[in-house]
Amino acid sequence: MRETPIGTPIRRLDAISKASGTQMYLSDYRFDGMLYSRMVRSTVARGRIAAINMPPLPDGYYFITHKDIPEGGVNELYMIKKDYRCFAEGDVRYIGETIGLLVGPDRGVLLDLEQGIVIEYEEGVPSISIEEGLACKGGPFVGDRNLFCDFTIDKGNIDEVLAKAYRVVEDEINTGWQEHVHLETNAAVAEKEGDKFIINISCQCPFYVRKSVAGLMNRPFEDIIVRQTTTGGAFGGKEHFPDILAGPLLVAVNKIGKPIQLVFDRHEDGAFSVKRHPSRTRFKTALDKDGNILGMDIDVVYNAGAYESCSYVVLQRGVFHAAGVYTIPVTRVRGRAVATNTFPSDAFRGFGAPQTLFAIEVHMCHLANELGIDPLELKKRYFNKKGDITVTNGHINDTVVLSEMLQQVMEASGYAQKAATYKPGSGKGIGISFYNHGGAFTGNGEQMIIKAKAKLHRRADGIVAILVGSTEMGQGLQTALAKIVARVLDVDQDRVVYDNPDTSCVADSGPTVASRSTMIVGKLLERAALEMKERWEEPGEIITQAEYQHPEGYPWDQSTFQGDAYITYGWGVCAVEVEVDPLTREVITKGVWSSHDVGVPIDELVVKGQIHGGIIQSLGYAAMEKLENTAKKGFKQVGLSDYIIPTSMDFPAQTATLVHNPYPYGPFGAKGMGELVFNGASAAFIDAVSRAVDTEIRSIPIPPETLTELMKHGA
Amino acid sequence: MVETSYIPKDLEEALRLRKETGAKPIAGGTDLMVAHRRGTGVVPKFPWPVMIVSQLAVFKGIRLEDGEVSIGAGCTCHEIEVSELVPWPVRMAASLMGAQSLRNLATIGGNVCNASPKADLPVPLLMLDARLELASVSGIRQISLNDFLVGPKKTALRDDELLMRVIIPAVNPAFTYLWYRKIGTRRANAISKLSLCAAITIDTEGMVTDFRSASGAAGPRIARNRMVEEMLIGIPITDIEERLPAFLDAYDGILAPQAMPEYRRSSTRRMLEHFLRTAVTRPAHGIIE
Amino acid sequence: MVREIQFRLNGKDVSVICDPLKRLLDVLREDLGMVGTKEACGEGECGACSVLRDGAIVTTCMIPMGAVQGCEITTIEGLRETERGKCLIEAFADGGAVQCGFCIPGMVIAAESLLASNPHPTNEQIRHGISGNLCRCTGYDLIVDSIRLASERGNGLW
Ligand SMILES: Cc1cc2nc3c(=O)[nH]c(=O)nc-3n(C[C@H](O)[C@H](O)[C@H](O)COP(=O)(O)OP(=O)(O)OC[C@H]3O[C@@H](n4cnc5c(N)ncnc54)[C@H](O)[C@@H]3O)c2cc1C
Ligand code: FES
Ligand code: FES
Repeated sequence: MRETPIGTPIRRLDAISKASGTQMYLSDYRFDGMLYSRMVRSTVARGRIAAINMPPLPDGYYFITHKDIPEGGVNELYMIKKDYRCFAEGDVRYIGETIGLLVGPDRGVLLDLEQGIVIEYEEGVPSISIEEGLACKGGPFVGDRNLFCDFTIDKGNIDEVLAKAYRVVEDEINTGWQEHVHLETNAAVAEKEGDKFIINISCQCPFYVRKSVAGLMNRPFEDIIVRQTTTGGAFGGKEHFPDILAGPLLVAVNKIGKPIQLVFDRHEDGAFSVKRHPSRTRFKTALDKDGNILGMDIDVVYNAGAYESCSYVVLQRGVFHAAGVYTIPVTRVRGRAVATNTFPSDAFRGFGAPQTLFAIEVHMCHLANELGIDPLELKKRYFNKKGDITVTNGHINDTVVLSEMLQQVMEASGYAQKAATYKPGSGKGIGISFYNHGGAFTGNGEQMIIKAKAKLHRRADGIVAILVGSTEMGQGLQTALAKIVARVLDVDQDRVVYDNPDTSCVADSGPTVASRSTMIVGKLLERAALEMKERWEEPGEIITQAEYQHPEGYPWDQSTFQGDAYITYGWGVCAVEVEVDPLTREVITKGVWSSHDVGVPIDELVVKGQIHGGIIQSLGYAAMEKLENTAKKGFKQVGLSDYIIPTSMDFPAQTATLVHNPYPYGPFGAKGMGELVFNGASAAFIDAVSRAVDTEIRSIPIPPETLTELMKHGA
Repeated sequence: MVETSYIPKDLEEALRLRKETGAKPIAGGTDLMVAHRRGTGVVPKFPWPVMIVSQLAVFKGIRLEDGEVSIGAGCTCHEIEVSELVPWPVRMAASLMGAQSLRNLATIGGNVCNASPKADLPVPLLMLDARLELASVSGIRQISLNDFLVGPKKTALRDDELLMRVIIPAVNPAFTYLWYRKIGTRRANAISKLSLCAAITIDTEGMVTDFRSASGAAGPRIARNRMVEEMLIGIPITDIEERLPAFLDAYDGILAPQAMPEYRRSSTRRMLEHFLRTAVTRPAHGIIE
Repeated sequence: MVREIQFRLNGKDVSVICDPLKRLLDVLREDLGMVGTKEACGEGECGACSVLRDGAIVTTCMIPMGAVQGCEITTIEGLRETERGKCLIEAFADGGAVQCGFCIPGMVIAAESLLASNPHPTNEQIRHGISGNLCRCTGYDLIVDSIRLASERGNGLW
């Protein structure tokens, strides 16, 4: 009998409970004696706190500040660095910085108290935009240049190439803030059990939360137990951000002793949570007289906001993806993360790659326009191939099947015919983009930093429990990992369980980020399952474990950023067809076609769900998700009536295909894919719109009013 | 103790409460409950007493009376959308408000009385010369919608009055061509960025006997101006092209958009141009798209 | 300032003593423990808090309790016990409609409301029917497919 392929869909483990409404999320739980809390936040973007005038607190109400941090604890949340404070102390750096936490039994009273607090500031001059940050408007507040980091990677000598070029094309591409809009807002309940602190929290990375607060509480890790609650969407917005809730809550629980809930409402989540980094990418591209690309000098700046958080790492990924799927003979990429007085930017699906991938795709189109050829023709000439040298002087190790994927998308979309018949400016356009996403942590991060472990436990009742810190947040990880384990053990699917992790019970399999969980943690579980299978006949309980092993032969130097930034990539091609309404300039998307190389899908339906969802999020990013920030008020579009995300009517049904391209180090040949699917549709959309209106577009998002301005004045 | 909320059981009680306490009605609540929300688990708080009127049958019903369409203030967008008595542009506007769940709650009375410059129903209603019937303990009066809408969020509703119904007069002869277009922030479930309702009547001789147009979200108030409309009335339809530039400039003059001025002005121009030029070609279908 | 408000909830008579301005959503979730109805925006935009009121879909974050007197309310807890509800839930599971799940109870309510008035909708009609329910995970396609699947499987149920 032939085994069904691993990709054949099964019913998701969490589908029935979620569809029938029995699945509990954080705000659905009630704890005995639970108190509520509200954050009190800075209302100015930069300044010193001169005075905090409190209304009288009724009995049973508390105002928790940095003064309540336990003895020996430090006012910090340890993310990548220890620069992020739990509570503002002395100065404030952005609108929305936590100053204190109001705690008490009645949410109405808390609201009144919050509105009764008057904080006096000596206001400074804030910098909001990338330009203001670089110009150190108001004086630098990070180092002497407002830069969290500034680094350059060279492949060959770009100065020579630029000097001898027949011509140099300059370009600048900008992208804006983007809000995650996980439908479940940020939410946590902290409590004490004996002398241990418990945090029940909607999050991606329970072990990150634990690490971030241990120093604050002056406790060893074991004293802090993080229990992930079923997470209603995350997209990177619950990677480090839950730390911002956990810190003040624990300080409060330590003082008050009762369970305390903190659940953001939608406006708080919109105004006072992390966002995708805005970016500015500049190109100087050297061409010879035949129109060949000789080299590119790329200057990438991300707006990191007021704290570094993971901006350096986000920027690295942006820089390493700056040449897109193209092998450019000579490159220099400089990356800077600039500090501004805005809410810290943080992880968001794609983690820095979408900005530079968008920029290179748009720039390639502009180059094609300069050369008078179809952008697709230009792009095809430079497709990465196995063995090609990357911008970090490492290698493309994958067998790259972009041509085959392109073929699929061309056939499904009718690209060639449409591109030929829709004349520039005709109101109709079709665009195409190419993208990739490096799998797992950059460089040797998996080996040097994460050191993931995974554990399997065959319980006395014969059920096999997956014990890892990786989390389900909607992406289908529980199903994928349980499927891998059941398949290796050759047991029925319902014999494998995978509960939301509790840091006191599970192995630290690393954070649920970087599209690493199926590929890396899935592989560890495959190995743990293989061992368990060998010992299957043993009586009683069995525990098996696996630890990460880095494949040999993929050198990386983290100090110089040289070598294989990623062992493997997922790859994608996307085509988008649009019509621009001649009267209203509304862009109507007529078709969306894509092909992806995810190695081997562990579950085709889960993968399909990721593709369709990621692409819509990317189209929203380009088309409508406008998010402005002002020095006086902070983010402007904070509720769902102002911050516009796509509905079911905004984009048509998609056609998505996959290519089979097994990755030797992934479970069943699988690679990461959760972020890949976000990385390209925005560029295809902009390519299509640009062609339809015969106007170059250099900035997203592009709602109709912006498009109208552009068409009037030119880009 | 002064009550903060009431649930009157009939109109008489509602009018009395209105008079004595100044209580404002909550109909669908889609404006009021949102504007005064205080978050999860906290009861919304209003700066004045309120009364819930959604249960009162007296505000319901869509009827034809003496050739005029009467829509009860408590009729929901859904009821309006599916009623064949209601003129097409009003049904269209109702059908494009929010989403189904909103249309099941939101009322015409609330939409009109909220007087938002972005409200959708007043745009075709103003174009159709709708009147409002207002009631108080001292009696009933009628007022044109045009006089009722005073400014952004300001109406001529008196402190003791309730809106009873919206009356749409018959149009005789019927319009030859109609236009309604809402540009939302997205393709569904969206507040208007701009809207335009227009109508033209052409007689058998090819003369324009009536022309009207109203713009939503293009200024502090829904915009309509009879003098500007009259620039196109009384001329042969074939002369429209000639009058178009002066008319469009004059129409532009009645718009006063604060944000996105270029977009709102130029889109309005293009839509009017398109509507009128298409009308000149005399298509068979009365609704121009 | 509380009042007694009586209504039918999932086929049973209930009576709640509360402020008539309290949101139906809070009463369902906090007083009656019906936590399958979610809150994701609190301002009528997202549809996560949808229930049926006298058979019509409404968002409970905007409804004051005073407007519920005498109404018939159906939440996901009630719907899931019905044949139609079961059919929808199974179809959502089989069609891959569920990701993070936070929008899904509201989507199931929207699907029921749609199929009740239009048992065999086209894809466009399905998209229209769920356009008040925001989902950030799925891109909607698999939800649309799942509702079509339910409509096919449930031949005669609606
Ligand atoms: C998600 C969402 C989407 C929306 N989309 C749209 C849209 O697309 N287009 C649009 O135009 N609006 C939209 N709105 C706004 C709102 O829904 C409408 O204005 C709606 O028609 C208000 O009706 P209501 O019955 O809910 O008003 P309520 O909130 O009950 O009342 C609004 C105002 O009218 C007064 N009022 C109500 N009835 C009477 C009466 N009989 N006599 C005197 N005064 C009265 C009230 O006192 C109050 O001041 C949207 C709102 C939300 C939350
Ligand atoms: S919570 Fe009610 S519509 Fe979003
Ligand atoms: S499944 Fe997550 S929001 Fe819809």
